[in-house]
Amino acid sequence: MSYFDQKEPPKREDRLHAAIAHGSTICSLANRKNCKCMNDGDRLFTQGSICQLLPALAIMNSFADSAVLLHGAIGCGSCVHSQNAVVKSGNAARQRPVKDGLWFSTALDETDVISGGETKLEAAIREIDRRCRPGHIFVVATCIPALTGDDIDTLIRNLQPQVAARLLPVHCEGFKTKIWATAYDSVYHSVGNGLLDWEEEEPLFTRDEFAELKDEYLRKRTVNVMTVSSMGRVDELELQRILGSLDLATNFFPLFAKPEEMYKVTQAAVSISTCPTHDDYLLYHLQEKYRVPYIISTMPIGIENTSQWIRDLAAFFGLQEQAERFIEQETASLASALKEFEPVFAGKRAFVSAGEIRAFVTSGLLTELGFEIAGIRSFHHDEYADAEYQKLAAKTEKDFVVNIANAQPFEEANLLKKLKPDIFLGHWNGNGTAAKLGIPASVIYNTGLSFIGYKGVYEVARRLCKQLKNTTYNRKLSSHIRLPYTEGWYGEDAFKYIRQAGGEASA
Amino acid sequence: MRNFIERPRYSCALGGALATAGALPDTIPIMHAASGCAGNFAWAQSGGSGLQVGGYCGGLTVPGSNVQESEVVFGGAERLQEQIRSTFEVMDGKLYLVLTSCVTEMIGDDVRAAIAELTSPERPVIAAETAGFRGNSYFGYDAVLQSLFRDFVEKGGTKVKNRVNLWGIAPTFDVFWRGNIEVLSSLLSRLGLEVNTFFGSSDSLDRIRTSSSAVLNIIVSDVYGVEAARLFEEEHATPFITLPLPIGPSGTDSFLRKVGEALSIRDSLVSGIIERENADYYRYLDPLTDAYNDFDMQRYAVVVGDCNYAYGLTRFLSDDLGWIPELAVCTDEPKAEFATILAERFTTLESGLRPAFVFETDTSEIVRHLSERWPGPSGQRYYNAFSPAFVVGSSLDRDLAASIGAAHLSVSFPVVNRAVLDRSYAGYRGGLHLVEDLLGAIVGGR
Repeated sequence: MSYFDQKEPPKREDRLHAAIAHGSTICSLANRKNCKCMNDGDRLFTQGSICQLLPALAIMNSFADSAVLLHGAIGCGSCVHSQNAVVKSGNAARQRPVKDGLWFSTALDETDVISGGETKLEAAIREIDRRCRPGHIFVVATCIPALTGDDIDTLIRNLQPQVAARLLPVHCEGFKTKIWATAYDSVYHSVGNGLLDWEEEEPLFTRDEFAELKDEYLRKRTVNVMTVSSMGRVDELELQRILGSLDLATNFFPLFAKPEEMYKVTQAAVSISTCPTHDDYLLYHLQEKYRVPYIISTMPIGIENTSQWIRDLAAFFGLQEQAERFIEQETASLASALKEFEPVFAGKRAFVSAGEIRAFVTSGLLTELGFEIAGIRSFHHDEYADAEYQKLAAKTEKDFVVNIANAQPFEEANLLKKLKPDIFLGHWNGNGTAAKLGIPASVIYNTGLSFIGYKGVYEVARRLCKQLKNTTYNRKLSSHIRLPYTEGWYGEDAFKYIRQAGGEASA
Repeated sequence: MRNFIERPRYSCALGGALATAGALPDTIPIMHAASGCAGNFAWAQSGGSGLQVGGYCGGLTVPGSNVQESEVVFGGAERLQEQIRSTFEVMDGKLYLVLTSCVTEMIGDDVRAAIAELTSPERPVIAAETAGFRGNSYFGYDAVLQSLFRDFVEKGGTKVKNRVNLWGIAPTFDVFWRGNIEVLSSLLSRLGLEVNTFFGSSDSLDRIRTSSSAVLNIIVSDVYGVEAARLFEEEHATPFITLPLPIGPSGTDSFLRKVGEALSIRDSLVSGIIERENADYYRYLDPLTDAYNDFDMQRYAVVVGDCNYAYGLTRFLSDDLGWIPELAVCTDEPKAEFATILAERFTTLESGLRPAFVFETDTSEIVRHLSERWPGPSGQRYYNAFSPAFVVGSSLDRDLAASIGAAHLSVSFPVVNRAVLDRSYAGYRGGLHLVEDLLGAIVGGR
């Protein structure tokens, strides 16, 4: 039975043996014999992070003609106030109407917690359908309904015939998984079950054979490029340019997709992942159900990884020769453009903190620019990271620390105090620790900045060069502001609080 | 009975409590919650609080028990105790404030018992019940104040003449909280008062501990912090007054007079300050005179705000700036007793204007209220349009402003399109800032 036949996707701890607590080094990670088995450990001391609701909302709010109804307490979904800015700018970049995202909360109260919230949810769906007429309503289950036992799936099934909008259940119960990347599976589960099937059109009375041939030709050259919410339009355009050089067409999915056009993802020649953390759940489904093969290997970030990403795709279409010519041309012109930055970056030590794959490919990019890697923090580990560990270990001369942590800035503060890198690259809302220690910081995840492809390499270099030109802001800040940690903590082993199944941590 | 809220302009009790606890001096919040709540609030501040995220211990640095399915099944109190002990080792604070959440309250963790074993005079640990289902972020603000007043503030101390406490401004959900608190505190100190504001630059935990010595609590809100003021009175026998958030000369004049009356401060002292401050305010306005009149900067207005700003802004526009607020919208859902007080205020504007006042949580419904108040054209040749107009609201009201061709300024949460650090709208200076920002929006494209 497929995962998609279940009510909700399995958590990634079970499906991919994903883990969030580990302290190690790049060489020992790269040389591990049994790749899958990293302890599903935890910590004795923890700080907050995010749950699957946040990345899921970032995707759902970008869909056109949709409303998102959060079934939960009034605060679940407050993060949309930030994400909404990305929705607006993303629509503007795609020449669509610039409006605020449309989200709602059933705002469950004490009475609902005791007597259940299904009545309220049903009335909310009816009223939103009537008042706003959205094409689709994503009904999102948060922690509370999981505890009260509200059954959103049955409710939606029974209510669907009575409302105009397409109703789609999404499960994002925060306490159920430590791996927030499960969010992608939750959204894809919902999209995969509710939005990918289409009705065959009635055949025309007179066949237009030329149009049919054209459609067929185009379909055979169309690639599903799986997008992630950190990718702005600028990154999509770079990938479109790359595919265009191979005479391939792009179908970007799922960010900013129009639900009524989502079925097209089932008709492409092939799907290619741009982030293995993000896409595998849907890619398997597309292959299993719709026979769309897939490529999932790396993120097209950095020179080597971008080239590898292109080669993987070209090999599928038998376009190796064209691809090699393109790669040669691109890397040569990039190399000469990067020359001006070489003296700026040479010998500089960088610390990188980001999502699983992104942290490693960005580190790869930095080594290509001439940086030395001082350390990496990756938000979680699963089997998809193994290839990146190995590539990076082969690329770097010195061994360095790798910390698997779902945020946990206290470990980062400890490491940064000891490692004293020249620059820190961190996720959105994850640069504060380094900044308050006086380290220049460069955001790794800011939708709208360029990161991807050959253009991304140059733009990241340009940005880093700018940021290193004047590091006054963070330096001065750090002499007046301090982090909330005890002096004693900085003297401890950074991984002191990691507790692993079968014994305490040693690092 | 509503079944949903569209684009809520607040977070939940836990979100408000976390912002409040994080704004207290030397305080480490500990969230007894699932792991995602902290990030959710950090992103909310990033998008709603004029670029202010966290503080000393905010954002993703906030320690928390990060409860999982196993705690849901077996209980989370032990995990909380483990987390508090390790927090003592890692986090540098003088007060530890445990905040409960939907999950941990629903599974019935006995938090009071759990912290009783760990709290000590040297390292006090207190708790507030702040599950998201209990209310919105303003409820959480009130709940944290209540737990401070109940479990941290000293009991039985003697009252000190002229010592007062001031609250009613919820950190980060009033985006201008720091500026507003500083301005009001400094005004009151000119009346000879020693003011404790809990969240200001000169506040400390020691001053909070001895805040029971105050002779009066001044709540600059008809709603936020009022329950805490009641509890304070019961616990520490300090009476309180509630006054609307004063914005600009008219509001601030009556604010000072009411405080003066409550404390029997010499009338000449109060009047003297009011006179000087007004003279100063209008001295700044003097050179604006030509432009204000030449550009015809008078506007019709729609005001959209929380319980503090809806009235404070409307009064300023009506009674100081001479604009014509036609519709005022409160986007919060206060209890009936508070709602009545708030509604009453809109019937006593000095200008004689009587704007329509509604409670409405849903952004997209506001335009409907406006068209009820000011019906659109119905084919007549001459139509007295709602123009020129201005929408003073949150950044969510930009669509409304655009749809009626009005200028717009974000003041009430969420404020996604402005950077706010020490700017205030309270007091006389706040009125000047508001004039700058409103008129700045009108001439921005000049």
